[in-house]
Order: sequence, then structure tokens, then C-alpha cells
Amino acid sequence: MARINPEFTDELIKYGAFDPNACYNCGNCTAVCTLSDENNSFPRKMVRYSVLGLDDEIKASLDPWLCYYCGECSITCPREADPGELMMSLRRWLISKYDWTGLSGLLYKSLAASISAFVLLAAVVIWFGAYWHFNLETVMHYGHYFEIAAISLVFLAILLPNIIYMWWLTVYKPGIKAPISVYIKAIGELVVHLFTQKRTLSCDDNQLRWFEHFIMVLGYLGLLFTTVFLDWFSTQSMFIIVLGYVESAIIFIVTFDFIRRRIQKDKEISKHSQPSDWFFVIWLFMMGLTAFLVRLFMDVNILENNIWMYLVNLIILVQWALIIVPFGKWTHFLYRSFAMYFANLHRATLAK
Amino acid sequence: MQEQMKTWEYDVLVVGGGIAGGESALNLAKLGYKVLLVEKEPSIGGKMILLSKVFPTLDCAACITTPKVSEIARNSNITIFTGAEAKKITKKGERQFEAIILKKPRYVDVEACTGCQLCEEACPVSVSDEYQYGLVGRKAAYIPFNIASPRAAVIDIENCILCGACERVCPPNCIDFTQIEEEFLVKIKSVVVATGFDLFDPLKIPRYGYGTYKNIITSMQMERELAPTRPFNTILRPGDGKMPDNIAYVLCTGSRDKSVGNPICSQICCMYSIKQAQLLMGALPMADITIYYLHIRAFGKGFNEFYAQAQDMGVEFIKGKAGKITEKENGNLVLRYEDIEAGVVKEAEHDMVVLSVGVLPHQGISDVFDNQKLELDPFHFINQSDILASPAKTSIEGVFVAGTASGPMDIPDSILSGGAASAETTSYLRRATL
Repeated sequence: MARINPEFTDELIKYGAFDPNACYNCGNCTAVCTLSDENNSFPRKMVRYSVLGLDDEIKASLDPWLCYYCGECSITCPREADPGELMMSLRRWLISKYDWTGLSGLLYKSLAASISAFVLLAAVVIWFGAYWHFNLETVMHYGHYFEIAAISLVFLAILLPNIIYMWWLTVYKPGIKAPISVYIKAIGELVVHLFTQKRTLSCDDNQLRWFEHFIMVLGYLGLLFTTVFLDWFSTQSMFIIVLGYVESAIIFIVTFDFIRRRIQKDKEISKHSQPSDWFFVIWLFMMGLTAFLVRLFMDVNILENNIWMYLVNLIILVQWALIIVPFGKWTHFLYRSFAMYFANLHRATLAK
Repeated sequence: MQEQMKTWEYDVLVVGGGIAGGESALNLAKLGYKVLLVEKEPSIGGKMILLSKVFPTLDCAACITTPKVSEIARNSNITIFTGAEAKKITKKGERQFEAIILKKPRYVDVEACTGCQLCEEACPVSVSDEYQYGLVGRKAAYIPFNIASPRAAVIDIENCILCGACERVCPPNCIDFTQIEEEFLVKIKSVVVATGFDLFDPLKIPRYGYGTYKNIITSMQMERELAPTRPFNTILRPGDGKMPDNIAYVLCTGSRDKSVGNPICSQICCMYSIKQAQLLMGALPMADITIYYLHIRAFGKGFNEFYAQAQDMGVEFIKGKAGKITEKENGNLVLRYEDIEAGVVKEAEHDMVVLSVGVLPHQGISDVFDNQKLELDPFHFINQSDILASPAKTSIEGVFVAGTASGPMDIPDSILSGGAASAETTSYLRRATL
């Protein structure tokens, strides 16, 4: 038996939703959505679940992740219930539910908590610099170790358990018993979605956004690889140096455009920005820019006397890796791709 | 200009010659008041005279309207100005109003015209016929429609090429191109506003493809196809003249839709669509009719039984709003909708789609009032300042509202509202003499 919980919409409004109670169940949103099909008819069902407060049904559903927020449903909604923003809020809510630490929910709902966390991490990095007497070589040496450690820790201790919990909620609990062969077969598509997010192309009018997003992901993953594994800041190889420059430039140029759109609000998708959205784009922009400048300072030999530049880059990186990646908007990238992977398992099992 | 203006005196000015305005005018005239009825179209009768049948009794709309219209036209206490508009109405005092009426030239002497239609035959210009809602064409010299009142020719000067062909064939020589626009100063004691409504223009919902896809029509166009004075002698889809056998109705097109600026229910679309479905089943016995609805609002006397009757006749009702419509090569249309009962998005093919368009306010009359404000409600209909106690009262004392000028309503309610306005007007006028 499902239990109705009218307070659930109040909870969702804290995650950015508008007024799902305005919905009169006409199904216009589902019918205009180009991604909605017979197997996954959304977003109206999600609006209905939200109004009734059926949180277990929402937790078990992959539908919120299949939406790429073109905004068509919100533009044409006869009740102005804004189903597009509701789907976005459900993704935020789901992130906080998948997260075993509970920190995601806290950071989404409380701007004060987010700012405190950013300030705290910045203070730790400055203390760390002071501890090594702002000696550039040592700070960079340990900074590099930190990158490797942070990535491993975040993946193994937070993201991996969260993905397993997501699998448990959306695949195991609803009783989807897919054979191992199906799991293996679907991996190829998981990787493709991880890198390309190509499903967004099915949305009308989304091509430019997809392209920007795509090269941004390539730039971001490339920069991660170049700094961590190719040791961009210490390398002598001309090729790697130029590669890093290009990758960091891509990040800050593309994210500059993302920020511009959120300020101008020219499309439905960029109309409503939560703090978590601003953090994501601004930190990405700063990450690209500061990494670019650190390497530039090195190449013109002024970093020695301007260690603050590296520290700024390190602060941004630490905040990114310990707040935004595990608990913020970055996780969309992961959960979305896995949702598609799990949806494939659903489909393969249903087909049998 | 002011000096040359002809000054006339009446008791009541009724603005709008539809069924509500006509009812008010007739009631007042029967009580002995002198009424000036001003209608912007060349014929009185409003929208009702163009309809097929009325719900839920399936009486012929024209058969109710035409006798009423003739009675209005023959009543010696009523003066009718067709092709005329109230340009300015000024309140001078208690039971004292002055109105300036603008009468556009018809270029035909109505008294002399016999309605022989020879001018129509002679006229070389063809344009879209607004009284058939664009389904067929008409000439630039034309009689608006068969049962128009007055049944006299009009020259559509916008499209006329001034060739004089009509003038040469007219037996009583009633065509007169020397007519000019006239202004009248009218002294009156009271005003009834019965300016009616406009239909929602589905071009505002481009995802439905109205105007692009030929076999999508509005409910008013279907109303014309079903009416006794219909343009074709049967039901045809406009794209290729095929008789449709699978017709879809899309309810709430432009009603209850904030995204097009009209958040309220139009009150008539559910019932007129059900009525049309029943008439179509009679006209095309083999056709399938599907009505896509959000909620069926069958709230009047006998309405719910009428709805049940349509279900029994085999009309299919599907809960879900059409999200978008696409056209196939053969002219058929594919509706994409969510079947709300199943919770699944579906597509369905139909060979004709009827958009059940909603009721919008006919705006502009509030600007005509010169020194006092005729208040509108949040939806731009005329505000009924005392809706429960005196529903015909407006924000100006002595100005009353009748029919759909105050909000969406069906025909019986419009007639009732016209009656209410005439009663309130009488009471206002009698207070002076007592």
C-alpha cells in the first residue's frame, strides 16, 4: 500500500521545484516530450507521484534521469506547473537520496552550509600551504598526491557505494533479474552515454548545447587525465604542455558561455538557477582558468614568486573534488549514464 | 462635422445584435421603450444563427434564431443599425447618456434590395467567406448568408475592384457607391452591452499545426459543415474533399490553458463537441469519433444524460490532452497524447481533427465609454459588479451587460442573461418616472 504524503511537495520546493500541485493531469508534458515513449512515459507520472508524495515510487524510478530538460513541457504546460523544473528538482532530490553520507541533501537545501564548506576547505588549503612555508616545490608535490588520493577516495568511498545503492533501489528492489550477459552487453552503451550524453540530441533545438557539453566533457576528462596521470605541471613534454593548455582553455571558454546563458535566461533550461547550478559552472570555469594561468606562470617563470596562483588553483580543485563532485551537480553525469544502463536492463528483462 | 451630425433620441442603446442583445432589445421594445440596436456585422443574429443544432435538445439553432430575428426586425419600437459601431458613449447624468454611432456604408440601399443575388453572380472577385469560416469563398458583392437579416446585399469595399458589374445587373438599381460613412449623435437613457465573444485562434498553438495541415478544422468550421445552411452538402475534410471516417476532437484548445493566456473554462466546448459527435454519427454512420478530453463538464440540465447518450452511441472518450499533431503524406493526422488512464504516451491516426476552440472576450467596448470606466474582470470580460444580487449591473450605473460579454456561457444562459439585462434596464428607467 502506498501512503500519501502531502508534505512531500514542500520538501521538493526546497530543491527548486515550483508548484506541482497546480497540475491537473492533462498529460500535455508527456505528449510534447520527445524523449518520452511507451516504456518510459514522463514527466506527468513523476508530477503525480510528487503531488501524492509517493517517494518510494520516485526512488525506484529512472525517469528523472532520462529527461535532458529542453523545457518544452514547461513552456507549453497549461497550468504553468513547470514540469521541467520539477524533473530537475527530482534529480537533485534523488542525488541526496542515493548519497549515503546525507551531505548532498544538506548542501542542496542550505546555502549557508555550502558556503561554510567552501570556506572551510579554502582555509585548510591555506593552512596546508603555510605548514610547508609556502615552498612551491613541496606544496606542488603534495598537491599532486592529493589529487590522486582525492579522486580515489571520492570514487571508492562515496560514488561507488552510491551507484550500488542506486542499483539496489532501481533494479534489485523492483525485482529486475537480468542475467550477467545483459549486464556485460549493456556496458558498451554505458561508456558511450558517459562520454557523449548523446540522448540529449533527441530533444528539439538542443544541438548547440549538446556540442558545447560534449567538448566540455572531453576537455574536462582530458584535463583530469593530463594533470593527474601525465603530470602537466611538472612535465617537459611540449605535446603534453600544449594539450593541457587546449583542454583548460576549452573548459573556461565553454563554461563562460554556460554562465552567460544562465545570466541572460534566454532559454527555458537556463531560467531557473539554483546555487548548486551556479557553483557547478563557476567552479568549472575557475578550474579551467586557474589551471591555464598556473601553467602560463610556470612557462614565463613567474610562478616561483607568485605561489598564490597555484594555491588558488588548488583551493578550487579541492572544493571541486570534495564538494561538487561527490555531493553536487557533477554526479548528474554519472547517475544519468547509469540510469540509462539500468533502463537497458529493465528493457532487456521486460522483452523476455 | 459636429453640427452636421443627425441627433436622434431613444430610451435604450443595445450594443450587439446577437441572441443576448436581441433578447434584451425585444423585451424592452415590448414594454414600449424605444430601442436602438447597433450591430457591427451586416446581419443580426450573432453566432447562434450560424450554428447547427443546440445541446442537449438537438433543436435546430437557425429555427429558433430566425423567427426571433424577424420579430426583432419587425418590431416598430426597435431601430436596427447594421454595419455600425458605438464610437463613444458619454454619461451626462442620471438616465442621460450620449452616444456617437458610426455607420459604415453598405453601398446597397437595404430597403430596395430584393436579395435576388444577381450581383453575386456578376461580381468577378472571389474571397474567403467569413460566415462559412473560410471553408468556401464568396464574392465581393454578396449576401452574408441565406438566412441573414436583413437579407440584403453588401459590397465588400476592401476587396471590390470597382468594376461596376453588380451595378449594371441590379434590377432595382439599389447599389449605390456614393454612400459614405455616417455619424449619429444619439441621446439615450440607458445602455445594454451585449458584445459577445471571440473564438480562440488556434494559430496561437503552432504544435497543433492548424493552418498548416489542411485537415485540421475548428469546431466552428465543423458547426458550419453540419448546419442547414452548410457550404457542402455533406461532411468533407478540406484537404482533399474526402468524407472522413475517423474524426478526433481536441477539447480545451485555448481554454484552461495559462500558456496561451486563457486560464478559464469556456463552459460550452465539452457539450458542443458531444453534440457535434452525435450529429456526425447521423451524417456519417460509419465514422469513428474520438473525443480527447481533460474533464467532461456536463453540468447543465440534461447535459450528463446527453454525454451518456453519446457514449452509448459509440463515441470514444479518451482522457488526455493532445500534445502535438503531425501530418502524414495522405493528409491523415497523428495525434500524440498521454492516455491518462494507462499512464502511457500514445499516438493515434485520424483522417480529420476538430479543435474545440474556446471562448475569449470580445474586447474594445470598455474603451468606448468616455467619462466613466467600464470595469473588466481579470479575464477581460465585463465585470459584473454585483454578480449575485444583480448580475446585469456593471461598474457604470445605467449600463447593463447581457450574454457572453460578461463571461463564457451557453445559449439558454445567454438568453436568460439578455432577459435579466432588460429587466434591470426597465427597473432603472422606471425609477425616474415613479
